[in-house]
Amino acid sequence: MSDAMLRLVNVDKYYGPLDHGVAAVKNINLEVEKGEIIALLGSSGCGKTSTLRMVAGFEAVSRGKVFLSGREVQNLPPVKRNVAMAFEGYSLYPTVTVRDNIAFALKAARLPESEVTKRVAEVSEMLEITSILDRFPSSISGGQQQRASLARALIRDADLHLLDEPMGQLEPQLRTLLRGRIKYYIKERGLTAILVTHDQTEANALADRIAVMEGGVLQQYASPEEIKERPANLFTGTFVGEPPMNVFPASVTAAGGKLHIDLRGDTRGDLRAGLDLIYAESDFAQPVRERMLGKRDVVIGVRPYAVHRAAQGAAAQVVANQWLGDQSHIAASFAGKSIVLVEHDRAVLSEGETIAVEIRPNDLHVFDAETGMAMSHGQELA
Amino acid sequence: MTISLKNIEKSFKTDTVLDGVSLSVDTGETLVLFGPSGAGKTVLLRLIAGVIEPEAGEIWVNGVNMDGVEPEDRGIGMAFQNFALFPHMDAFANIASPLTARRQSKSVMRQTVDQVAKLLKIDHVLHHKPKELSNGQKQRTALARALAAQPSILLLDDPLRNVDAKLRFEMRLELPRLLKDQNATVIYVTQDYKEAMALGHRIAVMSNHGIQQIGTPEDIYLRPANIEIARLFGDPVINLLSVRPERGANGVVVNLSDTPIEMAAGFEATIGTDCVLGLRPEALHFVPEGTPGAIPVEVETETPLNEKTVTLALTARKREIMVSRPAGSPGPSRGRAYLLVDAGQALLFDRESGARIAPSTHNGLQEDVA
Amino acid sequence: MLTTSPIERILRGLAITLVCLFFMFPIVWIFLMSFQTNETILRIPPSVVFAPTLDNYQALITGKLETAAGMLEINFMRNLGNSLFLSATSVAIGLLLGVPAAYAFARLKFKGSEDIAFTLLSFRFAPPLLVLLPLTIYFQQLGLANTYGGLIWVYQLIVLPLILWIVRGYFEDIPADIEYAYRIAGHDFWSTFRRIALPLAGPGIAAAGLLSFIFAWNNFVFALVLASADKQPVTVGALAFVTASGIQYGQVAAGIVLSIAPTFALALYAQRYLVEGLSLGAVKG
Repeated sequence: MSDAMLRLVNVDKYYGPLDHGVAAVKNINLEVEKGEIIALLGSSGCGKTSTLRMVAGFEAVSRGKVFLSGREVQNLPPVKRNVAMAFEGYSLYPTVTVRDNIAFALKAARLPESEVTKRVAEVSEMLEITSILDRFPSSISGGQQQRASLARALIRDADLHLLDEPMGQLEPQLRTLLRGRIKYYIKERGLTAILVTHDQTEANALADRIAVMEGGVLQQYASPEEIKERPANLFTGTFVGEPPMNVFPASVTAAGGKLHIDLRGDTRGDLRAGLDLIYAESDFAQPVRERMLGKRDVVIGVRPYAVHRAAQGAAAQVVANQWLGDQSHIAASFAGKSIVLVEHDRAVLSEGETIAVEIRPNDLHVFDAETGMAMSHGQELA
Repeated sequence: MTISLKNIEKSFKTDTVLDGVSLSVDTGETLVLFGPSGAGKTVLLRLIAGVIEPEAGEIWVNGVNMDGVEPEDRGIGMAFQNFALFPHMDAFANIASPLTARRQSKSVMRQTVDQVAKLLKIDHVLHHKPKELSNGQKQRTALARALAAQPSILLLDDPLRNVDAKLRFEMRLELPRLLKDQNATVIYVTQDYKEAMALGHRIAVMSNHGIQQIGTPEDIYLRPANIEIARLFGDPVINLLSVRPERGANGVVVNLSDTPIEMAAGFEATIGTDCVLGLRPEALHFVPEGTPGAIPVEVETETPLNEKTVTLALTARKREIMVSRPAGSPGPSRGRAYLLVDAGQALLFDRESGARIAPSTHNGLQEDVA
Repeated sequence: MLTTSPIERILRGLAITLVCLFFMFPIVWIFLMSFQTNETILRIPPSVVFAPTLDNYQALITGKLETAAGMLEINFMRNLGNSLFLSATSVAIGLLLGVPAAYAFARLKFKGSEDIAFTLLSFRFAPPLLVLLPLTIYFQQLGLANTYGGLIWVYQLIVLPLILWIVRGYFEDIPADIEYAYRIAGHDFWSTFRRIALPLAGPGIAAAGLLSFIFAWNNFVFALVLASADKQPVTVGALAFVTASGIQYGQVAAGIVLSIAPTFALALYAQRYLVEGLSLGAVKG
């Protein structure tokens, strides 16, 4: 059909009997184009690793089909799928040096010695492991092992590169730099890669598209910008993004040309009472307004960078103002909960100070409180 | 001064862990011990708690020398990185354990536990055993236990290490108020520079068996003592470029890709010496072609990082440079681009020793380094 | 991949049955023997079809053994009582001494602690026969020969190293931070030991107790040499069935059934602890 590098069609994974065992992955459909980097993102137990292992062939597909560059592969053993994989637990061969670990697949493919040497030098320079190439895996640090494992996967010519939590152990000082280099390396060579991660920062940094998973179900599959600006539901909205999206349960009413968004505050009720955000009806496009008014209970979401301090606005009291060198994170008690603001300059605010915050209509995400599904983003319907 | 350490030495077998550490923490202050793993942060906390003994040096708490004082008599609250909850007791009994030691009545105990549990939002899981708690609840239970007896000294050993990113963020914003309300003197251990900057009134940077620098977050970030510390704070990591300052038309200049960058005043002494220029990624800005003083670079790739966009670029001499800007602001994602350096934010280090060179002020004095 | 074919399932079942038969056979056979007379036991070919009799058990319980040469007095029930008393007391004392020692070896790394711990374990390596002769002489001189006290003392050689090494592993498995946390909360060393270390090592202590009970119960050599008839445990007492007129297989079988019953029951009851305790001890030791 299409010329996608990888295609998952109605894939299920059950541990135990089909339909009665433990469902790890439920009816997943996913396409990865050639040259694309995609991230399977979710917390532990969301099914992302099972999905990856089914693609690699370490796990049987309970139902559905897997196509890899046009071939149906779900019944092929891993070696016949032409897939390279970097494992979460490093899994370097302990009896040979880092160099031989990295060169292993190339040597097995009988590439000329000079070519192998050249490629090993290239990839190890990128990952800063040149100085440890002749050491054995047990004598290098966890971060170095992980980089060696990455090198072993990235050096190969394969239809698909699978990277399972590839950077969890990396030294914090190197992480951002290596992300940049790895992304460049993959893009330069036109490789297709799938990375599995629980870290939304990593997914955002590397991926062209992110597949957000939860409870074995694919929640949203879209570009990082799309997920940020148009999260499909409350789960992706709050899972992707750091600091996380501010959310408030609310009800919407219209009166006298005004739209009242009544934030109900903390449901536990032992904090400050709720707050009424008032907008002009004309602030919202007609269809958006109608949809908001059509539901009794909604959840309002707003990204921390979209909350602005303004001369006039709803009152909030500063709880914490934390400067991180290049950003300030401000938490303020607001509508009986707390609201988080991100500013790129150093904010001069002390605890207890009252500020006025403004939430612009275009930055409002509205979710159905019952189903969690997105209703609108700014002026657009979801 | 509530906690005062004098020349603490500690080694395990033949490995020196702490080599002459001195430190003092004021009442109500939160001091963050920051450093890579193996720097001896946890050991230092344990010494203060009294569960291990130093080979040499003195530990004073509230004016009392702790030599020979058993841990149970030191009046300290501590939270552990791995939570260290008592697995055979429910959350209530865990939190109440400092109170049972003080032989308080059942009703006082219940009231205190309820109060601290409510504060930490775990009052609904008090009858659960640790294995029935989520990671976040475990962490809050451990914190509640440390707070229950309202100790004047609170030792927090990387308490947010083992909780997920979202919870860690939430707690980071919540903790300062909690600690302030306790009015306790706090020593907080972390490996996360953001936590250190967010929570510490002062930060003590540890490495090589000792304290490398101690100061406010501002001191550490803007005036790091050396290259090593500059690299530990900030994400992406600071750009470091070898330079040799020269005399320019209006003072000291350094050359980047044959483009002279004018340094701030006070660096005359560095002329002709081997230096390292430290440029924070946020001190670099993309500008249109032809802007005076702009350096040409080749942009390799762009990686979003939280609310920022990080760009990896190569200078004409193939040196890597990272630039960060607020997410959503315009910038190149590939190919040729031009960078302007905010010289006011540039740091200069001695290449051989790695120490930062502080600009001298006009009256010849060195700037005040706390 | 994860599904199994019917043939595989049948083969697997067959293999399991074979293994079970192989290991259970002696016990089942002895159990059957205990309900037979010597004649039916010794007939050739052997058969599983017989008229069951309770004579063997009756003889053991009343202490009157009918043999071809006449009636013989035996003391089986007394032996059984001795076994119970000796094993239980030894284990109780062993736990009292061994558990705190195990804690010390696990937590307080003092000079030579490893050597001492190993020396204690090495008692298990020495063949008992090697120490038996000097032990007998000393015990006779000290007046400990043929006393319960003396036997219990010697039983510590069996019981203590076992308890020490199993329980030590359990104590080492408790994160030190948990104990530190309790100390810092304001509790002293002893209450930390009582309220934290002991309960958390509970399964290990139970396993060590059970296992050493079984080892003590099965001991033969020490009791054979150091105890006379009235202090003998069942293991030694069973020798009485080897009479001048032949071996009383039926009674031997009944004796075995009666004497393994308590340990068998214990082992079944605490199987999980035992396996855990053993594997942990093995890994840690």
